[in-house]
Amino acid sequence: MTNRVKCYLRVYLFLMVTLSLILSFPIVSYAKDVIKFGCAIAFTGKYSREGKLYVDSYKLAMEQINKMGGIKVGGKSYPIEIKFYDDKSSDSESAKLVEKLITQDKVDLLLGPYTSWITIANSLVAQRYKIPMIEGGGASSKIFSRGNKYIFGTLPAAGQYFKSTIEMLTTFKPKPKTIAILYADDKFNIMVGKGAKKTAEKLGFKVVYFEKYSSENTDFTTMLTKLKSIKPDAVLVGSHLGTGINLLHQAKELDVNFPFISLTVGPSEANFRKSLGKDAEYVFGVASWSLQMNFKGYLFKDTKEFIKMFKEKYGYDPDYHNASGIAVLAVFKDAIQRANTLNPEKVRDAIAKTSLDTIYGHVEFNPNGQIKGTSVALQIQGGEIYQVYPKGSRKPIYPAPPWKKRK
Amino acid sequence: MLLQVIINGILKGGLYALMALGMSLIWGVMDIINIAHGSFIMLGAFCTFWLFEYFKLDPILSLVFSISSMFFLGYFIQKYIINLVIRAVIFITLILAFGIEIFINNFALVLWTADVRKVQVPYGAANFSLGGLATIPFMRLFAFILAIIITTIFFIILNKTKLGRSIRATAQDLDAARLAGVDVAKTYSLTFGFGVAAAGAAGTLWSLLFPINPMMGGVLTLKSFVVVIIGGLGTMLGPIIGGLTLGVVEALGTNWFGQSFENLISFSILVLVLIIRPRGILGGSE
Repeated sequence: MTNRVKCYLRVYLFLMVTLSLILSFPIVSYAKDVIKFGCAIAFTGKYSREGKLYVDSYKLAMEQINKMGGIKVGGKSYPIEIKFYDDKSSDSESAKLVEKLITQDKVDLLLGPYTSWITIANSLVAQRYKIPMIEGGGASSKIFSRGNKYIFGTLPAAGQYFKSTIEMLTTFKPKPKTIAILYADDKFNIMVGKGAKKTAEKLGFKVVYFEKYSSENTDFTTMLTKLKSIKPDAVLVGSHLGTGINLLHQAKELDVNFPFISLTVGPSEANFRKSLGKDAEYVFGVASWSLQMNFKGYLFKDTKEFIKMFKEKYGYDPDYHNASGIAVLAVFKDAIQRANTLNPEKVRDAIAKTSLDTIYGHVEFNPNGQIKGTSVALQIQGGEIYQVYPKGSRKPIYPAPPWKKRK
Repeated sequence: MLLQVIINGILKGGLYALMALGMSLIWGVMDIINIAHGSFIMLGAFCTFWLFEYFKLDPILSLVFSISSMFFLGYFIQKYIINLVIRAVIFITLILAFGIEIFINNFALVLWTADVRKVQVPYGAANFSLGGLATIPFMRLFAFILAIIITTIFFIILNKTKLGRSIRATAQDLDAARLAGVDVAKTYSLTFGFGVAAAGAAGTLWSLLFPINPMMGGVLTLKSFVVVIIGGLGTMLGPIIGGLTLGVVEALGTNWFGQSFENLISFSILVLVLIIRPRGILGGSE
């Protein structure tokens, strides 16, 4: 190696070391009287797109809280501050950074990262240091099955997805008795299908058909022919957009009638309604949150105001990730004020007792820390999708008329 | 119920037959396994979709456009791209076809995004009852009949016209055909054009029955491949027999074992046929 190259290498190394030092000790305003939150989340790497959704939401919620005068503890209001680190979409990196947030940046409380397996890594650090973390980006039951007291999540479990729909079925007259469940063979929908079966049986329904289909499947004629002879009162489908359209189109082709059908993915998307036209009428859907909902908020007046402000600030429509992220900080503000202290243990206990209306919906946690299923039932009526249960803007229409009797 | 399942299978088999027709033709005559076949079906489907979307052209009428435009596309792709490697080993043409597939799929993805779309016509899901025993979807029956008609047209072209004779001659013995004055290069281009045109027709019918998206081609190529192998190369009846066999076996299989076994059933049939009749059901003996 020539001296020249060595010299370059040295300069390069020196620069890199200095740069990393600067990056790892950012200038933080050590202003007193601030409540500090810490968050290691994906700014780069494969989850950077979703990571950004949460960062945007956390920032907007922070602004909103500070505008409201901050969080009140012991008769005094404190503004909040969030310290972000880029976890590069890696779980080990994320866990390391959370540890750093706690030990070096001395944050008071933790905000979650994006995606389940990174959240698991983070939650273990939170548990070790006994600092509560609320996360809006991990729905896997694996996060909550470890007996970890310090992790709370605002995404409902996949297994709970059809819970509100099945509860709605019990209110129908005549009450449906038999349910058929079809689900695609991906991880999310398998959980949806199995969870729906459990809930349906618990609420006294008879599951007469329970079948998995391939996510790439285009032909449902055999399944539909079976359903035609079984004649279930209600059909629940763990679907994708394409398979959902296929299933309904082919049901009409074969004149298979469903008094009630609900799909996970599809009905809330505009393309579904456009592709099926009038045949999409009366179809039910599920969502943990959608732009059409309107809840009374805690940080915002209501969901509509949140959507408007969000769009003005960032120029895109928020989705459920964003709403879930807002709920995280809303819950923190509410819990800290009820605990009336920043003691992590007491804040944790207050979070566990949360019962709060947010723009994301009503938030309450299960004993394991995951939010109580807040998914709502939607129905397509007159070409638009409406929330029909619980307390929707429209009443659900049941039973749907058979194909031959529709205009 | 079993009657309905078998009818479903037969009707689906008709569509499979039309899908595989073009692949079988190109494979039999030119010895090219056209991996891009499914992508051509996708293009045919989108041709119909856009004509419908912008000009409200009836999808059945757009068949004329999808067939003719796909014919020219195929003709020129063969003439200016595939022709360059036609003398190379089969492996090279396979890779080239694979490249064309990747190109078409991603080009379509950039142009039209991954959105799922559907041609929405009032008669799209019309049906009639067969004496209360079974329900026959009108469009599927139509697709089935059309598949038979198009295959018959191809059959007539190949057997009764001068062009057909030169195609068959080229397939049987290249040198002899050339000595007899057949313009081989032109014959190849025409054959490829016909094969891609058949894919375009299949695409139009597909778009009437199923939602479409730019990445749908892969699965269709696989299905066409299975149908061609089952039916056997070198005969026009091959794809029809192969398509019907696969359609009925899939319908019965998914009825007994469950929907998630569909692909397992298709490929089990493929392996079985390869063991028992390595050249397909209609393929000649070794």
